[in-house]
Amino acid sequence: MTAEPRVTPEPQLLPLGLTERAARRRGPLVTLVDFARQSPLNLLALGLIALFVFLVVFGGTLAPHDPIKPNIQLKLHAPSSTYWFGTDELGRDVLSRVMSGAKYSLGVAVIILSIALVIGVVVGALAGYLGGLADEVLMRLTDLFLAFPALILAMAIAAALGRSLQTAAIALTAIYWPWYARLVRGQVLALKEREFVEAARALGASPGRVLLRHILPNTTAPVIVQLTIDVGYAVLATAGLSFLGLGAQPPTPEWGSMIAGARTVFREAWWYISFPGLALTLTVVGFNLLGDGLRDYIDPRTRRRAW
Amino acid sequence: MVLHLIVRRLFFLVFVLLGLSLITFTLSHVVPSDPARTIAGPRASPEAVEKIRKDYGLDRPLHEQYIRYMAGVIRLDFGESLSSRRPVNQDLKRYLPATVELTLYAMLFAVVAGIPLGVLSAVKRNSLLDGITRTISVLGLSIPSFWLALMLQFVLFAQLGLLPDGQRLPIGVKEPPTITTLYTVDALLSGQFGLFLTALKHLAMPAFVLGFGSLAIVTRMVRSGMLEVLGQDYIRTARAKGLEQKTVVIRHALKNALLPAVTVIGLQIGLLLGGAVLVEIIFSWPGIGRYAFTAIQNFDYNAVISVTLIIGFAYVTVNLLVDIAYVLLDPRIRVT
Repeated sequence: MTAEPRVTPEPQLLPLGLTERAARRRGPLVTLVDFARQSPLNLLALGLIALFVFLVVFGGTLAPHDPIKPNIQLKLHAPSSTYWFGTDELGRDVLSRVMSGAKYSLGVAVIILSIALVIGVVVGALAGYLGGLADEVLMRLTDLFLAFPALILAMAIAAALGRSLQTAAIALTAIYWPWYARLVRGQVLALKEREFVEAARALGASPGRVLLRHILPNTTAPVIVQLTIDVGYAVLATAGLSFLGLGAQPPTPEWGSMIAGARTVFREAWWYISFPGLALTLTVVGFNLLGDGLRDYIDPRTRRRAW
Repeated sequence: MVLHLIVRRLFFLVFVLLGLSLITFTLSHVVPSDPARTIAGPRASPEAVEKIRKDYGLDRPLHEQYIRYMAGVIRLDFGESLSSRRPVNQDLKRYLPATVELTLYAMLFAVVAGIPLGVLSAVKRNSLLDGITRTISVLGLSIPSFWLALMLQFVLFAQLGLLPDGQRLPIGVKEPPTITTLYTVDALLSGQFGLFLTALKHLAMPAFVLGFGSLAIVTRMVRSGMLEVLGQDYIRTARAKGLEQKTVVIRHALKNALLPAVTVIGLQIGLLLGGAVLVEIIFSWPGIGRYAFTAIQNFDYNAVISVTLIIGFAYVTVNLLVDIAYVLLDPRIRVT
C-alpha cells in the first residue's frame, strides 16, 4: 500500500438514477444480471469477487492439505499434481495456504471498513446536519486524520498496541473513517436544502427522523461506490502491514505475511511468492472494477465515460 | 483572495502539526516499553537506567515532556534519537534527500508517462491502445507495491542482471559533492555523467514501483478529463475552423482537461512521501520511510514524531500549493 492512491471525494450529489429506481422494483437478482450484462468488466468483477468471497467462507474447509502443519521433507517443492501451487519453506501446501488466507486478508478488510463506515457516517452526518460549531470541530478533527501519513500512523498504532491482526485492523480503521465522514457530510449538506427534506420538516418530523429516514438513505449510492473501491485498498493495506510484521503473525496464512516469508527464498521458489501476490492482486482488481462499474451503473451521467 | 486562502491554511497547518505531534506523542507513550531501558541497553544496571531516565527527562510527567519536546520543535530541534544516539536533525538531513529524490522521480515517471497515455487513450477511444492503457491503470491501482517490487527484483536483478537491487549507489562508489543533496542532480552539476547514470539506474526500479499507482491515477484523470472536454462545443468549433487534429487536442482540449489532474498530482506527491516505507525497505533505500519504520520498531519516539511532523507539513503545504495553482489556472474558481 505504499502510494495508496486516493482522490479526495468530491461532495457532489449523485442523483438516484432511473436505473436504480427501476432496479428497486425488479429485485436484486434481476439487477445483478442487468449489471453484469452492461459490460464484460462488470462480469469479470463479479466473478472475481464471488470467487474470493467463496474462499473467505469455505477456503479453510476445502483446502486440500493442512495450511499450518509443517512437513520439512516437502520443503520448497515445485508445483506438481499433488501440490498445485508448490510448497513453502516449511513444506506446507501453498494452495491450501492461499485458500485459507482469504479469510484473513479479505475478511479483515471488510471488518475494518464496516467500523470505519459507522464512525464516518455518524461524524459526517452530525457535522453536516448540525452545522456551526459542531461541524467546525468534527471536520477539523477529520482533516487532522487525513493529514496523517497513513502508513506511518498505522505503523505507530500497530507497534504501540502490539503486533497482531487485530491491532492492524484498529490502525487501519483510524485511517479510513475520515474519508467517509467527509463524503457523508458533503452529501448531507447538499441534501438538507432539498425540497423533500423541507417537506418532511414542515410535516413535523423530528430532526432525528429527518436525518435518519429522509437524508441518510439518499447518501447510500456514493458511499457504496467508495466502500467497494476501499475494500481493495484495505486488503492491500492489511497485507502491507502484515508484510512488515505488524499485522498477522506466522503461522497465520495471511497473504501479506506469506509474501514476507517467501522473500528470503523467492530466488529458488518462484511459486511461493507468486501465488499469494496473485491472489492479492486479483482480489483488488475485482473490487476496483466493481467500484468503477457501480459508479457508472448508479450514475447514468458518467455511463458513457465508462471507466 | 489567494492571500486569504494562504492565511487560513497557515492556521490550519499549525493546528495539524500540533494535532499530529500530540497524537504521535501519546501513541508512543502508551507503548509497553521503557525508553530509558532501551537507551541503556539490556545489560545496564538499574542505577544506570535511573540516571538515563533523569538525564533525558523521562521521569517528568507526560505533559511536561511533551511541552519540552515541542519547545524544541519550534526551534527546529527534534531532540536526540534514542536508538542512534544522534540528534534527529542529523538523521533527517541524511535520510530526507533520498526520499525526496525517490518521490520526485516516481512523480516524474507518473506524469511523463501518464499524461500522454491518458490523452492518446481518450483520442483513440476503444482502440487497442485504449484497452492496454486501461488495463495498466487498473493494475496500477491493484498490484501490491511490495509484491511488484520483489517480482521486479527477481526478474530484472536476479534473472537478467539489468538493474541493481537496491541502495542509492553501489557500495564503494563515492557520492557526488553535496550541492542540492539529490545524487542525480549533484552528479550532473559536478560534471560526472557516469555517476549520474549509475544513480539513475539505482533509482529506476524503486521509482517505477512507487510511481506505478500514481501513473494509474494520472492516466485515469487525464483520460476522463479529455473525454469530457472533447465532447464539448468549442472543440467542434475548433475542428470546424479546419484546425489540425494535433492543434485541437493539444492547444484546445489538453489545457482544460489537465486541471483536475493538477489536483491529483499534488495530492499524490504528499501521499508518496509518506507511502515510500515499503518500497524503501525492499530496495534498502536510505530514506525517511525506512528510518521511521526502524524508529517505530525501536520505540524511538523522538524520531517517529519528527518524521510524522515533516510528512504532515509537506502534505499540507503541497495541498496549499495545489489550491493556489488551481485558483490561478481556472478563473472560474472562487476561494471560499
